Amino acid sequence: MKVTYNWLKDFVDIKIPAAVLAKKLTMAGLEVVSLEEKAGDWVFEIEITSNRPDWLSVMGIAREVAAITNSRLKIKNEILKIKSQITKSPTKLEIKVESKEDCPLYTARIIKDVQVKASPDWMRQRLELVGIRPVNNIVDITNYVLLETGEPLHAFDLDKLMQEDGLQIFIRRARPNEKIITIDAKERILDKDILVIADSRRPIAVAGLMGGKDTEVTEDTKNILLEAAKFSPPLIRKARQKLGVNTESSYRFERDVDIGIVDFASQRAQRLIQEETGAPEVLFKSQPKTIPLKKTKAIRLRTKKISAVLGFEIPFTKTKKILQDLGLKVKTKGKDLNVFIPSFRRDLNKEIDLIEEICRIHGYDFISSTRPSTIAQDIERSVFDLNFLIRDILLSQGLNEVITYSLISQDLLKKCGLDETAIFLANPLSKEVEILRPTLIPSLLTVIAHNLNHRQDLIQIFEIAKRFKVPQKEEYFLAVGLCGIKVRLTSAGRQEEKMSLLHLKGILEILFERLGIRDFGFTATSHSTFCEGRAFSINIEDKKIGMMGEMKPEILAAFDIKNQEVFLLELNLSSLYPLINLSRHFHGLPLYPEVRRDISLMVDINLGVKELRDAIIQSGRPYIKDVRVIDFYTGAHIPKGFKGLTFSCIYQSAERTLEDSEVNSVHQNILQSLEKNFGCQIR
Amino acid sequence: MSDLDITNLKEEIAKSLAEVRTKEELEALQIKYLGRKGVLATLTQGLSTLPVEERPSRGRQINALKQSIINLFNEKLQSFKPQEKKVISFVDIGLPATKQELGRLHPLTQLIREICIIFSRLGFVVVEGPEIETEENNFTGLNIPLEHPSRDAFDTFYLKEQKLLLRSHTSPVQIRVMKARRPPLAVVVPGRVYRPDALDAAHSFMFHQIEGFMVDKNIKFSDLKGVLEVFARAVFGKDIKMRFRPHYFPFTEPSAEVDISCIICKGKGCSVCGRKGWLEILGSGMIHPHVFKYVGIDAEKYMGFAFGMGVERIAMLKYGIDDIRLFFENDLRFLRQF
Repeated sequence: MKVTYNWLKDFVDIKIPAAVLAKKLTMAGLEVVSLEEKAGDWVFEIEITSNRPDWLSVMGIAREVAAITNSRLKIKNEILKIKSQITKSPTKLEIKVESKEDCPLYTARIIKDVQVKASPDWMRQRLELVGIRPVNNIVDITNYVLLETGEPLHAFDLDKLMQEDGLQIFIRRARPNEKIITIDAKERILDKDILVIADSRRPIAVAGLMGGKDTEVTEDTKNILLEAAKFSPPLIRKARQKLGVNTESSYRFERDVDIGIVDFASQRAQRLIQEETGAPEVLFKSQPKTIPLKKTKAIRLRTKKISAVLGFEIPFTKTKKILQDLGLKVKTKGKDLNVFIPSFRRDLNKEIDLIEEICRIHGYDFISSTRPSTIAQDIERSVFDLNFLIRDILLSQGLNEVITYSLISQDLLKKCGLDETAIFLANPLSKEVEILRPTLIPSLLTVIAHNLNHRQDLIQIFEIAKRFKVPQKEEYFLAVGLCGIKVRLTSAGRQEEKMSLLHLKGILEILFERLGIRDFGFTATSHSTFCEGRAFSINIEDKKIGMMGEMKPEILAAFDIKNQEVFLLELNLSSLYPLINLSRHFHGLPLYPEVRRDISLMVDINLGVKELRDAIIQSGRPYIKDVRVIDFYTGAHIPKGFKGLTFSCIYQSAERTLEDSEVNSVHQNILQSLEKNFGCQIR
Repeated sequence: MSDLDITNLKEEIAKSLAEVRTKEELEALQIKYLGRKGVLATLTQGLSTLPVEERPSRGRQINALKQSIINLFNEKLQSFKPQEKKVISFVDIGLPATKQELGRLHPLTQLIREICIIFSRLGFVVVEGPEIETEENNFTGLNIPLEHPSRDAFDTFYLKEQKLLLRSHTSPVQIRVMKARRPPLAVVVPGRVYRPDALDAAHSFMFHQIEGFMVDKNIKFSDLKGVLEVFARAVFGKDIKMRFRPHYFPFTEPSAEVDISCIICKGKGCSVCGRKGWLEILGSGMIHPHVFKYVGIDAEKYMGFAFGMGVERIAMLKYGIDDIRLFFENDLRFLRQF
């Protein structure tokens, strides 16, 4: 809403400069977003909150200015003074309102013998200052009065409506597929949710939005019909949304106009038309016999409640004065007040609304700062805490956290070889962001592609976010992505470490160890995103809770990733949380030394390390405590089809120092079992 | 020769040795005492003049003296020998350090954690809520009628199926918590929210909010100001000024937008604050009686405040980031700066 300093001065004496007024307005809730000096005047651009339609007018803002500057509102009677009396109807005019709910008030004035020409300079200038393009005196006056009073008006060319037997105006719902060409020269197709103004033949305006082209006021117009009305806000809102037009009128009708200002505005416009176009001879006014003014509301305001809500006292007399300055009627009732709400303040409904008004005008700067007494609440470890715990474990392993959009495109899923059914948005911004992602993997791959493109050698990332599944399931997921080479310059020189699936495994093992999850494992699987033989499901207690693998090269190619291997894992955290066990139990440090024996062996390349390790543990009882793989090799010294492995076996007893002979005997068992059951060649 | 003579002799030699400066002087001294005709030799020769029974003990004394004198000479000689050179291997500290890979939290997560910790210290607990919400929790319960201009500030993504939506703010969690628990309550809610805004430097269809609210018997508007002051100082620094400005939110009454003095120009007015000297950081107010009524809390008995802030906005102000899209692009060169 734009308003000028001089225009406000028509209605209120302002003794402070524009810049000071702007600050005061901002601190009263009318945020001045810009103030510009133009053509000897100041233009305020004010952001009006949706609860204050009364501020969508110069008079409404002037009322506020009066209250915050301790000044007086002056609405001079002469602005309404009409030169000649309203005469009896010269023509038969009938107004038929189909539904009082759709249109609580409709008034019309017929003004004859107007002279359509350009408006006077002062009016053109004011309109231009507030961003309205001048058209002709009649249209300009309706706009001027709209801005001044907040009541939208519309002028029709009367002669284009008249029929031989008089004129009938209908305010009714449009018929299915009824059409109108509006003044912006667009044909609009209407339906039963749209209210129209019509004569007996066709719609002549979309109520509250825009007039029809063929009844608009032009230079040839001689007589006009001036409409001032009030329409149902939700109805105007719906029509505005359906037709996709937002006008100064619809903006105000949608926020509800003051029923008490309708006739005032009409009279004000008539007065201006008389002034500007000579002296129209015949005037006619049509409106219901009684204007259905809503009963004045009274709200009880308890003085005690004011300080209870605000936390500080405002003197009673001050409270009273603020309410009166805002144009409210106040009656003292003992220590309390009865406050009567005028029709232009439909936003005031409850005691709390009045308390806000008092605080607002008194000044928010006066609000003291106090501290509430602390509330002791139950504390339990929440998902929020667990997610941070998981983040910390991943950070300590050198992973960077990323945050990506939950909305992606169906295409992106397809690009990753996935065809999961996803939740679609009814009103997406674009095809790029039309579904709620059913997996985090495509997003992470996008981040990896971006960073490779910016020449990052090593990308180690993770995200914890919701993943969405049909019908409306949302669960926290963890995704980890690895790509590239870790290069380190140590005293031994340059060392390179290529990221691999085993790095992913390592990240998971540390994560699970820290979360107290022991019973986990990996099983080979096949997956549309991952390479054959390099896809694994991650299981806890034999339940699948995630998967990991190496991305297929053709998928990487679709992301413009060349000559790189990308490893990704995804884990359902919502399934993981119940399995987390953060309790710790101390085990006494071993009293007796451990004995270490290494086994180097050569074995079929397809034999799994896990099987061998399990076998070693099996046959190493009762003294074996741990088995670690300490070396792994293929190549030069090993025949094709074989691999070399070195296990380190740790023997220990909790009761005594083990004798060499005891260890030897058990170790011998292991060697024999490995040779016998797996055909290992011990080296 | 008495015992005293032996001691004196030893002292005399030590004294002379201390004055020796060159190898030549040392040699001369050595001849004087230890030479074939030196003092010691003379002493030894003198043994024969003693009675037979005294000779062994005197002989031992002289031998011991001789040994100690030899030691003294050797020590001195050692000091003339050139020092053996130690080989020192220097580390070129200009070489690049060998570092562990450092993992970093996303700057938004860092800020969310920081803010949640601040409020936790003030006695708030963290609660999260779903991102897919109902119209009731997102709008109706919060006193936002479905067909009303006040809803325009909350443009919303709807799901294709059912009347579900992606929450457009974290406030629906107010409804969820107040329906499930009774006061006293002090809760903060971080999370993702969604609005159909086309992407540009200042707008994003997904961003993060932190909601907070406190409900008890005597919660006042001034308590809200006090709590938010603690928060603003903790996040932006002790010298920050804060002000409440009247505003309208359907779910609070009275409502306030909260500004802090511009962190760039300290309130003088600059391009960041639009010459105003103030930066808006959050919206807040006293929980509207209609909201209490909706969740079944007696608004005559309880009062409460609520506030909500955009995490990206605060991060952009705090770190001087000028494009919201950077948060979601996840360029490692960006992430590594935090």
